[in-house]
Amino acid sequence: MLSKLDKAIIGLISRDIPLVKEPFRDIARTLGIKERALLKRIRFFKASGLMRKFAAILNHKKIGFRYNAMVVWNIPESIIDKAGRIMASFDEVSHCYQRKKKHEWDYNLYSMIHGRTRKECLSVVKKISDKLSGGFDHKALFSFKEEKKTGARY
Amino acid sequence: MSRSLKRRDDLNALDKRILNRLQEDIPFEKRPWGITARELGITEDFIMERIAFFKKKDIIRRISAVFSPRKINFVSTLAAVKIIPGNINKAVKKINSYHEVTHNYRRSGEYDLWFTLVAKNKKRIARIMRQLKSDKNIKEISEFPAIKLFKISVKFPV
Repeated sequence: MLSKLDKAIIGLISRDIPLVKEPFRDIARTLGIKERALLKRIRFFKASGLMRKFAAILNHKKIGFRYNAMVVWNIPESIIDKAGRIMASFDEVSHCYQRKKKHEWDYNLYSMIHGRTRKECLSVVKKISDKLSGGFDHKALFSFKEEKKTGARY
Repeated sequence: MSRSLKRRDDLNALDKRILNRLQEDIPFEKRPWGITARELGITEDFIMERIAFFKKKDIIRRISAVFSPRKINFVSTLAAVKIIPGNINKAVKKINSYHEVTHNYRRSGEYDLWFTLVAKNKKRIARIMRQLKSDKNIKEISEFPAIKLFKISVKFPV
């Protein structure tokens, strides 16, 4: 169980931290705790896997990755783990999830592919498709406008 | 579209090293920038100057912790909507008004918008879904909850 203090820490460090020499000192002060105690909790969050990373989030468009395709696949349940692992093995795939199918939406595996060009994205789709070697139905849903991108609020 | 930075090449080799390093965990120490700078063979002042610049240019959106929602007892999901033609901007405004909506993209295909939600519980997600369903600009809404996570690793080689 997370304590009230843990929740307060998570809430604060999920937002942009101050760009000062000792950012954790500032955060600790806001929380009314010792910097050492804060760092200890952060190390615990990381070690326990609650926290995935504590890093810079880049604007992918500004560094040349202008295209992203959410590729949805219809994969038989019996091989979905294998297919998921194959997709996950590609560097260009940032997210891969199995999701529930819906009426008139026969797709259960989702992979997010990033590329500098549309062609680059499609070539990864092709490589994945070849590796799966089942000719499974899929489609690449290219994003043409980012309407919102922000961190979660805890 | 990026106005301030036209091409990736506008970043020099050192900038790229800094950006690649910053996409990994920062040190959980008193002076994280100082330690990172030393790793890269530069000074604390210099790296902080570059970070400020990258933020100003919106190359770095933020430097923060990223949690696994489920592991801290939050719920996340993916949803998609079909919009009444011509009303997309109103629908976007409505969807984005929820702080629980973290990403929202227009995409090709039969659904106009795909967005992710992170909320404190399932009830809250269901409530947002209900409210959006009754929005007059939204024709249809579907939720695609995750069953299994195979990968999440958002890192861009600069």
